[in-house]
Amino acid sequence: MAEQRSWLECDTRFIPAHYQPVTLIDLALARGVNEHRLLQGSGLFYDDILRGDKLISAQQFICLIDNARQQMQADDTSFLIGHQWLPGHYGAASHALRHAGNLLEALERLVRLQPLLSPLMTPRLRLDEHHAWLCWDDSFGASPQSVFLIEASMTAVSSLSQWLSGQKLPWSFYLSHAQPRYIEQYWVHLGERLRFGCPRNQMYLPREYLLKPWIDASATAGRVAEQEGLDMMAALPAPASVLDDLHDYLVAQIRTPLRLEQIADAFAMSPATLKRKLKKHGSHFQEQLDRARAAVAMELYLSRGYSSEDVAEYLNFSDRANFRRALRRWTGFLPSELSTWLG
Amino acid sequence: MQLLKKLQNAPLLTSHKIKLAVLFAAANFGLILHLLQGEIKPLHAWDWLDIAGEGGSAGLLLVWLWLLLKSRPAGYVTNLLFMGLGCLFFSLFMDVVDEFVALPDEVRWDGWLESGPMPAGFILLTLGIFHWHREQLAINEQMRNRERLFREHRQFDKLTPLGDAQYLRKQLALALHEAEQARLPVSVVMVDMDGFSQVNREYGHREGDRLLQVLTQQILLNLRQHDLLCRLAGDRFALILPHTGERQAQVLADELQHSIRHLAYKSSHHGERLHLSATAVAAMARGDDAETLLQRLTIAMAKAKQMLEVRHG
Repeated sequence: MAEQRSWLECDTRFIPAHYQPVTLIDLALARGVNEHRLLQGSGLFYDDILRGDKLISAQQFICLIDNARQQMQADDTSFLIGHQWLPGHYGAASHALRHAGNLLEALERLVRLQPLLSPLMTPRLRLDEHHAWLCWDDSFGASPQSVFLIEASMTAVSSLSQWLSGQKLPWSFYLSHAQPRYIEQYWVHLGERLRFGCPRNQMYLPREYLLKPWIDASATAGRVAEQEGLDMMAALPAPASVLDDLHDYLVAQIRTPLRLEQIADAFAMSPATLKRKLKKHGSHFQEQLDRARAAVAMELYLSRGYSSEDVAEYLNFSDRANFRRALRRWTGFLPSELSTWLG
Repeated sequence: MQLLKKLQNAPLLTSHKIKLAVLFAAANFGLILHLLQGEIKPLHAWDWLDIAGEGGSAGLLLVWLWLLLKSRPAGYVTNLLFMGLGCLFFSLFMDVVDEFVALPDEVRWDGWLESGPMPAGFILLTLGIFHWHREQLAINEQMRNRERLFREHRQFDKLTPLGDAQYLRKQLALALHEAEQARLPVSVVMVDMDGFSQVNREYGHREGDRLLQVLTQQILLNLRQHDLLCRLAGDRFALILPHTGERQAQVLADELQHSIRHLAYKSSHHGERLHLSATAVAAMARGDDAETLLQRLTIAMAKAKQMLEVRHG
């Protein structure tokens, strides 16, 4: 595992400015925001965007979001651009979504082509006996804008599935932030199946909607477009963000003892480098470990119906009090509170 | 885009150019007159308290003038207010100049320059404020169905000429309180377009925005004197109906649905007809607070939309 690997980081320029960023720019300009103020500090010029070859980093995109929010002072910005994000106009990747034969295929393509379709938020798909779950994580640690990005991303998927299936699908939403003042925006753009203050950001719906055929799709065009999308991915500086790769690695190894040194080794870098990379994304090792454990614990609770004893045993906790404290740190809930929440 | 912005801002200041030029010329004229006839006082004779007091007041009057001209369209009331404030400024400015320039004793006109414009300014200002009041009453009449009892400009919706969800919550809490005191019913109607996201996808955001503005006018035309319309979010509107029971509210909800279905809206680009429909649900307050009432309506709306989908497959 000592090969040299590279990752997308918050300052890697890989997002075409005329993809997702331009939907936000267009909306802001249409609402009368001054172009100069909107682009201020983002290192972007409108003429560059028009040329169609400008790539920007996650940091620049987040700066743009920050400016737009300050200039627009409206509660619905995230939802309005979310409606436009998918399938969007991102070349083959968008075609691949547009011609998905059913919801499952669309979600799988969204996950596979994530850096092109949803560059700042990473969706992860999980199917269990009854439900399809789509979990969302920050790809680059966008903390002040992460609520905005969650709102936009969840709206994007629910709007896409409504458009292509021709009906409003019964998505339910678990949101990790507290209920905001502008709850009415959630009602209108996402629906009324909402829960705030949850351990993770995820949305789910019954499995029966996954395989219902979508009539307008062309299966062959979709498959060709997906292949082209994968070629576009191969041309990126790296296939995934460092936070995403680390998360997947931690989740896969969650039952073994996990130490920073050993993981740095697996990622072919020194512990100091790994620490520095995490710090650059506003995080640290313990936080990433807690996040991975929270993800695994929630999957066990929600999808496999585990009790707290089972979860503690699965994660190698021998001491009950220890597990209570740990679960509180990962999810914000004690085991007893969590069972009420699940019930 | 740029041009549009310039057009929006420009006329406000350019149409006042002449007024500003006259004020500037008058102030200069007074200053020059003082300098021609008098001597500049030595530094030790300056009264700093007077200078700060009079100079500060004159400065603040300039700020008022600037805000007035920036915010108000030209017209009769604006002219009166401007002349009033202009006279006051001139009078205070002469006071300040007087602190720096000593005039010989035989000069009498300086008293006139200082004290003459002051009462004239106050009279003009009073007249201006009186007519402003009349103007406000006329505007209130135009704001009927969009505003009740108090105004909060931070709670104006950004897109439609309506109050936003925060304004609605405040007004709803007030209406519920009033209704409880007077033991009268109060109802709320929620209106939501069917397939609005389709319009946004197919015709773009600008068309969607324009449609919302047209719909606002259409709904307003159907209301009674005391009803209040607010924009909740997106394509969803809420209506507060004071002194109205559930049955009557339901009648109004049906009327709104019909009225929107018969609206022959044309797209701005090619002028083709868009067939619109909306779902409207009504509920009467039954001792619940603003938040639970809105939640109850939201759930009723979701059910109504589901029925719609079942009916149309």
